[in-house]
Amino acid sequence: MLEQLKDIIVNYVEVKKEDIRPESRFIEDLGFTSFDFMSMLGEVEDVLDVEIDQAEAANIRTVQEAVDYLSKLA
Amino acid sequence: MNELRSTIYELLVKSEEAYGTRDAIRYKVKDAGEGGRKETKVQTKTYTQLREDSEHFSAALAELGEQGKHIAIVGATSYGWITAYYGIVNSGSVAVPLDANLPAEDLCELIDRADVTTLVYDEPKASVAQMAAERCGRLKHLIAMEETAVSGALSMWELIAKAPAGIGCEPRPEDLATIMFTSGTTGKSKGVMLTHRNLAENATALDMGYEPGTVLMTVLPIHHAYCLSMDILKGTSVGAVICINDSLLRVARNIKLFEPNMILMVPLMVETLAKKLEEATFIPAPLVKAKVFGKQFHTICCGGAYLNPAYIDLFKKYGITILQGYGMTECAPVISTNCNSASKAGSIGKCMPNCEVKIVDEEIRVKGTSVMRGYYKMPEETAQTLEDGWLKTGDLGYVDEDGFLFLTGRKKNLIITPNGENVSPEEIENKLGANRLIQEVLVRDHEGVIEAEIFPDLEYASKKKIKDMQGELQSIIDAYNKTAPLYKRVFSLKVRDVEFEKNTTKKIKRF
Repeated sequence: MLEQLKDIIVNYVEVKKEDIRPESRFIEDLGFTSFDFMSMLGEVEDVLDVEIDQAEAANIRTVQEAVDYLSKLA
Repeated sequence: MNELRSTIYELLVKSEEAYGTRDAIRYKVKDAGEGGRKETKVQTKTYTQLREDSEHFSAALAELGEQGKHIAIVGATSYGWITAYYGIVNSGSVAVPLDANLPAEDLCELIDRADVTTLVYDEPKASVAQMAAERCGRLKHLIAMEETAVSGALSMWELIAKAPAGIGCEPRPEDLATIMFTSGTTGKSKGVMLTHRNLAENATALDMGYEPGTVLMTVLPIHHAYCLSMDILKGTSVGAVICINDSLLRVARNIKLFEPNMILMVPLMVETLAKKLEEATFIPAPLVKAKVFGKQFHTICCGGAYLNPAYIDLFKKYGITILQGYGMTECAPVISTNCNSASKAGSIGKCMPNCEVKIVDEEIRVKGTSVMRGYYKMPEETAQTLEDGWLKTGDLGYVDEDGFLFLTGRKKNLIITPNGENVSPEEIENKLGANRLIQEVLVRDHEGVIEAEIFPDLEYASKKKIKDMQGELQSIIDAYNKTAPLYKRVFSLKVRDVEFEKNTTKKIKRF
């Protein structure tokens, strides 16, 4: 899951895959805007065939939190 | 074609008479498909259905004794939301659209401050309705946008089914139609009072050349004046098909589904979609455009915040026109906009035909039929903002020799985020400053994110034996962020080791 997520993240922000750590924060550390982040989660929905709640997504701060949330859905 | 309409009632009725059987609204629904798996389908409502449903809702409100009262709506964009809005304002009542992203406590405060007696809400906001029923003394009715009644609330669709068609009420142009809350510069949000004329004339005064049947996809929050006026009211007035984007996560997927001709956006969205266009550098521009936006797409109307003009040139390469505009809720909201027949690079367009602009000490001031009546129950703030009918925008700018308006800066202390939200720094400063460890705090915009610069109370820190100051302050910010909607969150922290410089009134110098 983490690797799949990293592959998607690098399409949205200028960051190297190896620099993405579980504790990386999407907005503060990886440089996402709030809309980049929402769009990326939309792509994650397509790739993993899951449905993400927008209100819950707004509480995801780090890569690990995203992995944990997505693991529950998948 | 656009004809000037002076009430929202007139706007809807004339559109229905002209476009009755055409699609007005398209939205996604989930049905059980084969094997029990849910399938997404597109549902449509015609102009006649929209008018009839909203007129039945007007009648239902009258039967509840709520005609002429203040009725709040909270929820995501939906056919129910739009029906409720038209039903409320065309019954002679006042709609109070609320930001569904606000915490329940804040929503209850706004419900009280706006003297709301009925709350219309969607299912995800049921907990807000429950809290409001307990806390908001004036609230008499809860109406859920549900097919059947739920505990403690009436069903909007049952009310519509049972109510007679219409109530023979026709609001006047000067009647109050809507109270919209906007961030104030003092930390307390203000209820902007907009009349039927304010909203209807703002939506219809300018002919932007939209043809009936133009497909719009609405992606911005519907409680914002920009979305309500330009997507919903203007869309209705020109006979457009308004497609509802069900989630910000699914903009790309919904563009493929609805194949819109145009979308109203804020700069943040333009920036993200620009990256998508630029991803495929070796593919011909028309193919890239078709992949990202669909073949039919041609126009983005952009407002709410500053847009780098380089994006206008970039999108042009892909055959997409970006029309940059400018406005504020107090002007219902559009003040000026570029349009296909008159545009200039770097400008925010010409003033709307129903308004005039003058510049006083560099500040843009606006007069005309879109300018609000005032702030609800805030006479001092109203007097500070309206002077002899002129709205003081707090924005700095100039008008060139061809009549195009240009922005140069901002006088008011307000953070305009790239997604068009107005955030009061004082509101966040007051919340953070309530913590004993924070002696002084300044909140501002820093490269598109909200930054808090903090001077900690060193005496208190020493008493509490705090060693990791950065970590401790970050945890205060994290706790605040958990309670705040995404656009009000602090994403950058700077710690000072000296006090802030103050002005003569002992206030922190902001600039």
